[in-house]
Amino acid sequence: MDALVVLIPLMPLSAAAIVGMGHLFGFIGGETGESITADIAGWAISMSCLLALSLLGAGLLGKNTGSYAAGHWLNSDTLDIPVNFITAGFHVHLAVLFSILLALVIRFSMNYMHREAGYHRFFFMLSLFSAAMLLLVLSGNAVGTFIGWEIAGLSSYFLIAYAYDRPVAAANATRVFVTNRIGDAGFILGIGLTYAWVGSINWNDLNAAAAQLSSGEATAIALCFSVAAFAKSAQLPFTPWLGRAMEGPTPSSAVFYGAVMVHAGVYLIILLRPVFEYSTLAMAVLAVVGLATAVYSFVVGLTQTDVKSSLVLAASGQLGLMFLECGLGFWQLAAWHLCAHAVVRCYQFLTAPSLLHHIHDHQIKPVTPVMSNLRRAYVASLQRFWLDPMIDWMLVKPVRGLAHDLSYFDDHIVDRIMGGAAPAIQAISSLAQLEEQIVGAKLDNSADKFAQGSGLAGKLTEWTAAVLHWFEDRFVLRGIGKDTINYGRQLGHVANKFEQSVLRPRYLVLFVCITLLFAC
Amino acid sequence: MNNASFPILSLLVLLPLSGAIAVTVIRNIQLAKNIALLVAALELIATLTVVQLFNADIGTGFQLVERYAWIPGLNIEYLLGVDGISVLFLPMSALLTLMVIVASWNSVQTMPRLHLALLLALEGVTIGVFSALDMALFFLFWELTLPPIFFLIGLWGIGSERRGAAIKYTLFMLFGGVPLLFAIIILAINHATAVGGSIPQDLSFSLPVLLATALPDNLQGLIFILLLLGFAVKAPLVPFHTWLPTVAMEGPTQMTALLTGLKLGVFGIIRFTLPLAPSAAVQYSWVLGIFGAITLVYSALIALQQTNLRRLLAYASVSHVGLVIVGVASLNMQGIQGAIFQLLNFTMVAGSLMLVAGFIQHRLGSTEAIHLGGLAKVMPHLACFYFLFALASLGLPGTSGFPAELLLIVSAILAHPSISIAALIGAILSAAYMLSFTRRAFFGPITRTSVKQVQDLRPRELTLLCVSALLILGFGFFPNSVLKINKTTAEAWLNRLMDQPVLTSGDEGFEQ
Repeated sequence: MDALVVLIPLMPLSAAAIVGMGHLFGFIGGETGESITADIAGWAISMSCLLALSLLGAGLLGKNTGSYAAGHWLNSDTLDIPVNFITAGFHVHLAVLFSILLALVIRFSMNYMHREAGYHRFFFMLSLFSAAMLLLVLSGNAVGTFIGWEIAGLSSYFLIAYAYDRPVAAANATRVFVTNRIGDAGFILGIGLTYAWVGSINWNDLNAAAAQLSSGEATAIALCFSVAAFAKSAQLPFTPWLGRAMEGPTPSSAVFYGAVMVHAGVYLIILLRPVFEYSTLAMAVLAVVGLATAVYSFVVGLTQTDVKSSLVLAASGQLGLMFLECGLGFWQLAAWHLCAHAVVRCYQFLTAPSLLHHIHDHQIKPVTPVMSNLRRAYVASLQRFWLDPMIDWMLVKPVRGLAHDLSYFDDHIVDRIMGGAAPAIQAISSLAQLEEQIVGAKLDNSADKFAQGSGLAGKLTEWTAAVLHWFEDRFVLRGIGKDTINYGRQLGHVANKFEQSVLRPRYLVLFVCITLLFAC
Repeated sequence: MNNASFPILSLLVLLPLSGAIAVTVIRNIQLAKNIALLVAALELIATLTVVQLFNADIGTGFQLVERYAWIPGLNIEYLLGVDGISVLFLPMSALLTLMVIVASWNSVQTMPRLHLALLLALEGVTIGVFSALDMALFFLFWELTLPPIFFLIGLWGIGSERRGAAIKYTLFMLFGGVPLLFAIIILAINHATAVGGSIPQDLSFSLPVLLATALPDNLQGLIFILLLLGFAVKAPLVPFHTWLPTVAMEGPTQMTALLTGLKLGVFGIIRFTLPLAPSAAVQYSWVLGIFGAITLVYSALIALQQTNLRRLLAYASVSHVGLVIVGVASLNMQGIQGAIFQLLNFTMVAGSLMLVAGFIQHRLGSTEAIHLGGLAKVMPHLACFYFLFALASLGLPGTSGFPAELLLIVSAILAHPSISIAALIGAILSAAYMLSFTRRAFFGPITRTSVKQVQDLRPRELTLLCVSALLILGFGFFPNSVLKINKTTAEAWLNRLMDQPVLTSGDEGFEQ
């Protein structure tokens, strides 16, 4: 029975491939093709659902061995990345739950998305996402889980940018993907450290070896995976991305940010329970971040007046509680909490549009009186504690500024030092220059330039000649005069400017980072 | 050493060269185009035959070797051969050239025969660079890549300063050639001194012989620096990279696709720099790593600032070279295998992205973000392929970029943990620059009438991109198909470096 597990992610993946290829090459398209697309996607996820259920049944009857290996994906030296799956316990339960929810949402979308412009695109992405999520929960090694993790993030990107002609949607999609990429970097680092210290990237091996790890190693691995989990499950300081992600169509919001994808972070933590249990620090971090997010989401949620924002903040708050439970050691509770929350939130998101329809003529309930009396708290809550602008100010702006400075440096300094394209630069570009040259005004004093060259060697020769000439002209012929003082002053200005720019916070931070990197 | 019964490598070099001559001689343009296509296709088949003939299980030494005396007075030989590192570059170069020829089928209107002839000639010498085993012969092929590229940029460039860009490129490459030549001469003389012979008779330029000759410690550092400098210009590594953005802006996109796709410089570093100066390579691997890390982060940051797709791709390509160098400097199996994998990837990913940029340029006359906007709506096919290639370039699972990048990052974590942080930052930045350009060019409302009327990919272009898309997905799903070909050679390469007696100077502390 174990071998069936391969088919569970493969079914939606092949559905995605068929729909994607068919749509790309024009076999499936338009309104007539809608039923074909919907059928393919619907049948595939239903099959996955049945397979997952039979796997669960077989597990209950004791027919499963608990794992299944289907060959090797990549081998390099001792790094062996197999294609293996875990077919027991929490993994299968989640696979069953998620495939049922995904099947529901796909069924819901068949009618909901009817006659939408990107119908086929939507089902392609949803099928791809289903495959990714099922791979994520079933994979027996870290790289397999990471593949699911990334593909899920990618489909989230495309569904946020579903209405891609709206600039806000496109900008939010990019922002969300890049934010998640920070978590992905943590995940990759975690994989690398696991391989370096445990020598294997199988989850079971890591959990079995957790006892042999020193507490520092366990903490490092646990913290790397926590960063990934925090980013995926929208914990502080990554919480704002969840609000931005609401640009997509409702069914995708339901399945990504209500029911399935946001829980991936909690799943990862529960999966790594043995490693976390060897690290008090990582447990404390989980608890603190979870609690902070729960409080944050609750306070901000109090002032929200639109249904999607309220739901999203409720979701991140509940996820925060799950992290808190993990951090306090109530693993079983967190697992149940995850499952229950997925079901409830999926329902709430799916009914949100009809809810809006029903309350169309009624006033939204005003903000709670407690909140409206506390003016500062109210503003802070309304502004979501300025978290987004703060991250902009702390991270995005300095990076952009650094990029801008480096770009200038590259164009004006590195490029010049390495030798520019001589003929184009030295050509006469305007009529005035031509006249100047004919009349012989030589305002740019080009008479000094005897030697001309380009490239490093050419320029070097030219400069040497120019410097010698200048030296002779200014010092030997004219004596030390006013020019020297002027040059000195100019040099001072340049040095001053350099110092000022170096003292900008972004450079200070950069230097500190570089020093730290060298130190470690 | 495994000698070839049939001189197939020479055939690979000569076939495109003779094709180039044929194309120049033939008057009929259509016939010339067909012949060029035929030659490129035959070349691809021949290179695939080489991969078939190649035995991946023989780790040490070169295969399909052809040896003829060339300049007997100086002991310079005509020596060709392949090993697991170079063998896959041959079909990739052939495929990319074929793609470039198909992509420029109608877009090159002036002097099309000369254009095709130069492309074929470039293909021939590039294959020569990958398969030459005699240093002098290698240097000849290396420098012979310059004239075709010079004329391709200068004559068919799309920028107003294409002549300047062509000169800039050539000067940079000539500058890189000087240290290379010095290193080759020093190595040859060292061999003569080592065997105790006299200078002109006992010089040796053959790579297998030079690899067997021990290099004294005082020369190790010098040779390492010279060879590194020579190849760093071509790779390119910061600060020698400034020719690439210029060429990308001024040169024709097909040419840039070849330049960003075929990373001859990094190949040179793997093939010559490290094995020829092994103890210096081990001692200074961290310097190389830092060099790579700086290149990686520096160009990724600059790429964030770019508004033109071609320039962005140029910086992205430099940034990826940085990551490959980090992998090479890690001196472990994951690093070297990931580096070769990533270099092969470039041929498809960077080359195809540049070709896509060329398609946009050809239709709209610009790849500047402000002139685009909303392309996904009017060119859905092109947008699909663009996304696939862009995602492969930022290493998303499912594409061939992922296994390569994973190997490189894991190798960095194993060897130099602090450099691996730079690699991870690079991974985040690559998503930022790629997707924020995508947002401006492909998403958003259509604002320009020229964009509104643009035509999507033609069947010819679609087929072209399908081929590389299939390869990218294929390598992504089955990375072992590539890795098993270079496994034994990579092991031998690594053993050669690591089995050296470690030098006494205590500069090893950095790695801890």
